[in-house]
Amino acid sequence: MSIKKWLSIASCTLFFSANMAIAQEAGGNLVYIVQPEPPSLAPYLSTSGPIGLVAPKIYQGLLDYDLELNIVPELAESYEISDDGLTVTFKLQQGVTWHDGKPFTSADVQFTIMEVLKKFHPRGPNSFKEVSEIQTPDDHTAIFKLDRPAPYMMRAFAGYESPIVPKHLLEGKDIREADLANNPVGTGPFKFVEWKKGQYIRLDKNEDYWKEGLPYLDRLVARVIPDASTRTAAMESGEVMYGAYGAIPNVDVVRLREMDSIGITTEGYSMINPMALLEFDTTKPPFDNPAIRNAISTALDRQFFIDNIWFGYGKTATSALSSNFAPTGLYKESPNYPGKPDIAAANKMLDDAGITANSDGVRLTATLDLIPYGEDWRRAGEYIKQAIGDIGIDLDLRYEDVPTWIKRVYGDYDFAMNLNYFYQLPDPVIGVHRHYGTDQIRKGTPFVNSSRYSDPELDALLVEGATSSDPEARVGIYHKIQDKLSADQPVVNLFELQFITVFNNKLKDHDFSAMGSYSSFDRTWLEK
Amino acid sequence: MNHSAKRVRYVLKRLLQSIPVVIAILVVNFFLLHLAEGDAADVLAGEAGSATPEYMAQLRSKFGLDKPLPVQLAIYLKNVLSLDLGYSFRHDMPVAKLVFDRFIPTLLLMVSTILLAVGFGVVLGLLAASGLNTWRDNLISIFALITYATPLFWVGLMMIVVFSLKLHWFPTSGMENVAMFYEGWDRVKDIAHHLVMPTITLSLFYLALYTRLMRASMLEQAGMDYVVTARAKGLTERRIVFVHILRNALLPVVTMAGVQVGALIGGSVIVESVFAWPGLGMLAFEALFARDLNLLLGIFLLSALLVVAINLIVDIIYSFLDPRIEVS
Repeated sequence: MSIKKWLSIASCTLFFSANMAIAQEAGGNLVYIVQPEPPSLAPYLSTSGPIGLVAPKIYQGLLDYDLELNIVPELAESYEISDDGLTVTFKLQQGVTWHDGKPFTSADVQFTIMEVLKKFHPRGPNSFKEVSEIQTPDDHTAIFKLDRPAPYMMRAFAGYESPIVPKHLLEGKDIREADLANNPVGTGPFKFVEWKKGQYIRLDKNEDYWKEGLPYLDRLVARVIPDASTRTAAMESGEVMYGAYGAIPNVDVVRLREMDSIGITTEGYSMINPMALLEFDTTKPPFDNPAIRNAISTALDRQFFIDNIWFGYGKTATSALSSNFAPTGLYKESPNYPGKPDIAAANKMLDDAGITANSDGVRLTATLDLIPYGEDWRRAGEYIKQAIGDIGIDLDLRYEDVPTWIKRVYGDYDFAMNLNYFYQLPDPVIGVHRHYGTDQIRKGTPFVNSSRYSDPELDALLVEGATSSDPEARVGIYHKIQDKLSADQPVVNLFELQFITVFNNKLKDHDFSAMGSYSSFDRTWLEK
Repeated sequence: MNHSAKRVRYVLKRLLQSIPVVIAILVVNFFLLHLAEGDAADVLAGEAGSATPEYMAQLRSKFGLDKPLPVQLAIYLKNVLSLDLGYSFRHDMPVAKLVFDRFIPTLLLMVSTILLAVGFGVVLGLLAASGLNTWRDNLISIFALITYATPLFWVGLMMIVVFSLKLHWFPTSGMENVAMFYEGWDRVKDIAHHLVMPTITLSLFYLALYTRLMRASMLEQAGMDYVVTARAKGLTERRIVFVHILRNALLPVVTMAGVQVGALIGGSVIVESVFAWPGLGMLAFEALFARDLNLLLGIFLLSALLVVAINLIVDIIYSFLDPRIEVS
């Protein structure tokens, strides 16, 4: 028996007819916040957050994921995985055209995965590592041939993560240089019209969209507003109606959520799974000693960050994996992540490890680098300095600008301890492995294993986790991985960040997908 | 030689003199910018989420960052002399187009701010000086002190709270209504509507400066011998103030305005940020953090040219205000 998933027309129609009951209204222009301004509109080259807020309205993926993380059809109407897990067959939607009128076919899928994402996308080489070939027996069938099973790959087909791009506009060109980056042409519900740098990106309704009767909105305008207080004011005045990924700072969210005209949600981030954490240089003293890293993990009050710096939004880390992986069974609550800080226990760990204090009570001094993504992280650094000071570790804080910080941590490895956050993404293979594997010690590459933690036993487990096609077996493997990571703590995970989406209550059905604000907005509508 | 020919010669001479100045500005800035840690490739890769070392090397060679600094400088200067400002790899656009697109909003904001600040500053300074130590003088001086001492971003935010959120008179931010995209005259009106609050906010600060300067300058001139002479001739007070004193008192104000145009481009970053005004200040600010050196140098070049031009214009205005000052 093969695992067969027929999604397509039946479930799709059901979904729409169920929703029709609320009577969506067509028309209207949605102005929403994109901040900072995206560097380009090339989601096939960069996973930069602001690109995700705009590009998935233009480009689509083969699949999408609902709020319960179930796979739903997008450009693929169905898919089928063979028993051995080595063949994945996608049936593509009929009658889909690119914004320039050319038909969308399986050749576009083949080209996108093999020639674009696998070569140029930051995460594509990982997601599609096992894909050796894509066969296109006809225009609407794409057969992925894998070297080894890759169950995690099925979580990477959303429009933001793996956008399908037009072969006829990229073939034979230098993919990174192509004009498509600033003039995107996709299959999505909205067409690119104009980008006024420093002001807005304008997208108009795609009248020939392949989903009947969609999209509801006539126009999307992504506005750039540099100042956080002004963004809040524009949201209050109704000039903008939607802002995600902390566009409205938590301090203002607390005030805006009391307003009748404004709603907030923390849904739509379950494929992102951001985790705040501390990285250590595990190759040099003092932090090459796991006892010290464990002591730090034990001495920190994780709830303090959430209550006092992030205004109550967030969830304390209880393992190296986000608790959002609980539905898949992969997550396991781990030791060394105490619910309450335990200074005595942390001191004892250091004493047992022979780290003694001098006459001032200082055991060691180090510099803590802070991720330069805003004031919250500075506050967090100040708290860490104070909390760790209680166990005799004296920290200096360092806050630099983004290029300097990236070069220091990932280019020169010139750091001891670094406050950071990582997206764990929809599967640990895509988001978590890059932080711990020996093969992920890639000098000069940002957001990989900068701790330079290397452990053959863990490496073997990571390979098993990536290639096992049996969900039950994966559960066991990932529990072992978490045990190993919580014993060694090459990275001390602090808390699961909760991003907040703020919206005007006239805007409906904006977060219908697990991708949240990174979705297509085709079902989103405005109440008159 | 007649007067206007002299003036043309003077302008040409000044322009020639400014060429080495502008080149020196570029060279100094070039080396200063290269002192910063990290480069455009680091930023792009950081934003992209991840990148291979080969890709980073490829980026650097594409940006020309792998060549020695003096070679990079020589290439840049050669391009600038052939009027090519280079390419912004971050924006994937030629620098000239990017800078020009943002120059128009900056010019709008700058010109309206200077006009408002100088215009009102002169009037208020005049009123204060002519009613020395009366309630009028005190009121204007206190107003000037308060506007000068208040942080710009706070004024901007308060304007938004009062005039956008409470009274709904003006939009909070931006340069035009992007939900509607007006055209023709409606668009002009729409942009003017959006321009009001940023202009007032930015000019409040400079207004205080000009008011104080004008007041002091008026008082200084009022004690001069020529004023005593004019009064002895039996001229009306009105004529003395408006024809004799005012013209002389304007000189320092004009000087100040000339100097500050340069500062306005940089000083408007806060106002541009608060009101999301798409000007050069914000562009420069972002370019710095993205290590987009071509773009930054392009903006510096433009500001340098602007300052040179404005100073020249100021010198010419001098000669009109005070014919004793000769251009030569």
